[in-house]
Amino acid sequence: MLLRNIFLKNLRDRRKALFWWSFGLVLYSLFMCAFYPTIQKSAVELEAYMENMPEAIVAAFGGADNNIASPEGYLNVEYFSMMLPLMFIIYAIGFGSGAIAGEEEAGTLDLLLANPIPRWRVLLEKFLAMVGGMAILSFMTWLGLAVGIYAYDMDIGLGQLAAATFSSALLSFSFGVIALAISCLTGKRGMSMGITTALVAGTYLLYVLAQVAEPLEKYQKLSPFYWYMTANPLANGLKLGDMTFFIGTIGIFLIIALFAFQRRDLAV
Amino acid sequence: MSAVICTEGLTKYYGKTLGVADLNLEVKKGEVFGYLGPNGAGKTTTIRTLLDFIHPTRGRATIFGLDTHRDGVKIKKQVGYLPGELELYKNIKGGEFLRHFAYLRGGVDWKYVQELAERLDFDMSKPIRSLSSGNKHKAGLIQALMHKPELLILDEPTVGLDPLMQQEFYRIANEAKKQGQTLFISSHILPEVERICDRVGFIRRGKLIKVEEVLDLKEHAFRQIEIHFANPVSKEEFENLSVVKDVRVEDSVLRFTVAGPLDAVVKTAAKFEVINIISHEPNLEDIFLTYYGGDENAAS
Repeated sequence: MLLRNIFLKNLRDRRKALFWWSFGLVLYSLFMCAFYPTIQKSAVELEAYMENMPEAIVAAFGGADNNIASPEGYLNVEYFSMMLPLMFIIYAIGFGSGAIAGEEEAGTLDLLLANPIPRWRVLLEKFLAMVGGMAILSFMTWLGLAVGIYAYDMDIGLGQLAAATFSSALLSFSFGVIALAISCLTGKRGMSMGITTALVAGTYLLYVLAQVAEPLEKYQKLSPFYWYMTANPLANGLKLGDMTFFIGTIGIFLIIALFAFQRRDLAV
Repeated sequence: MSAVICTEGLTKYYGKTLGVADLNLEVKKGEVFGYLGPNGAGKTTTIRTLLDFIHPTRGRATIFGLDTHRDGVKIKKQVGYLPGELELYKNIKGGEFLRHFAYLRGGVDWKYVQELAERLDFDMSKPIRSLSSGNKHKAGLIQALMHKPELLILDEPTVGLDPLMQQEFYRIANEAKKQGQTLFISSHILPEVERICDRVGFIRRGKLIKVEEVLDLKEHAFRQIEIHFANPVSKEEFENLSVVKDVRVEDSVLRFTVAGPLDAVVKTAAKFEVINIISHEPNLEDIFLTYYGGDENAAS
């Protein structure tokens, strides 16, 4: 029964959205693979084209070490460097900013908290629901890609594929937890969404500009995108060192969210 | 008798706006306490502080002798709450909502929930989205009652109920009292409070003005009364009655304010041919002004 606790109820609330997101991600992932043979044929021209690009643009697509003719390089440039994290981030921020503030703005939070459940527990269950939602989307993406690489004969290990998808999810989830923390601090969903989106744009820009502007280079490690882009798990697998930044971010902002929510006066 | 709710100098400011100030309130076990005041007086602020949704600026509150902030979870096991502005999850059915809350509480007897639903004529199979405000209110009441809590905190429980359901609510409140449950009911309607409560606390502009037994209140309860006679009457006849004030006569219509028992008035009026008697319930502001001189510092 999906109403047994807050965790399941929150996933249940999003089951239709989850279904369509999953559907979309599986299809999109498949399509990405389906275009690979075409790209591969025109590899030489594309390489030349990429070489003439400004450094910042190349960086934005995942760096110069990506050979777009190779399956890993192709997926990195076309999917993992931009489109996939973008979709994941949209989902994560929506979930994170709405988890608490959504109920608060809808006016249902008072009634929920009149139950003998501590606030931190409510927050943790909602946090776990976010984890669950992201896990489902990640799995679906991986599934779509796995079928794709099999169908279009791309030579990538399923493990690497999982590592890259997981890495995308981790990046996006970090922003989701930041959104959650801001919504716990303010009780305002829109504000939380706005600030976090600005943070995504800002840190992305910081990473890209740091590739070409020397003075910014020492700050690039502040950008989650630096850690995400430099790991290249599709080629190398995912190492713990690549994840530390994200695990740290998630941990810190979850603690902020817990403290903020525990102490704040709830809006009517 | 031990206090179920006790506040000590409870004060809440929202920034610079006053919610409640220096509230000293005691609700005894087994009583029905009416918390009466106009809208915006601080009733909901008090209630939301008791439930630890907001934190006092100064002072503190205890329920069952436990601190509302520190032991909130323990307290809530034995509290049923109906918010003033009730909002329910719109994407599930009424029964699913109740089921969800029964799970979250744990230990709820589902048969009792069904029984309550039957009594209140609440259809659990309908999506909440499609419910009228009266029906939503029923769902809110059921969730407040379903675990048979020792204390019920009900914020304006009859607002939005049709007269029939109001009667049903009064019956339920009465039964709860008989079973030894304590009720804390906020309201801005005096007759309602007179009808179901044992004691009343008057709150105005964030301050508790007076706490009074309903029986005493009724004794000097005043009403505006209008008597229509067949023929013009003279003012003097009524002015001499001790319970009557502000007598005005227009032709055959007599208007006055009466505080206390009506007996003398009725007997005097009976000397003439009476066509109609109209009684107006006083509004709260009038009560405050008449009895407490509107003195905000006259806390009991």
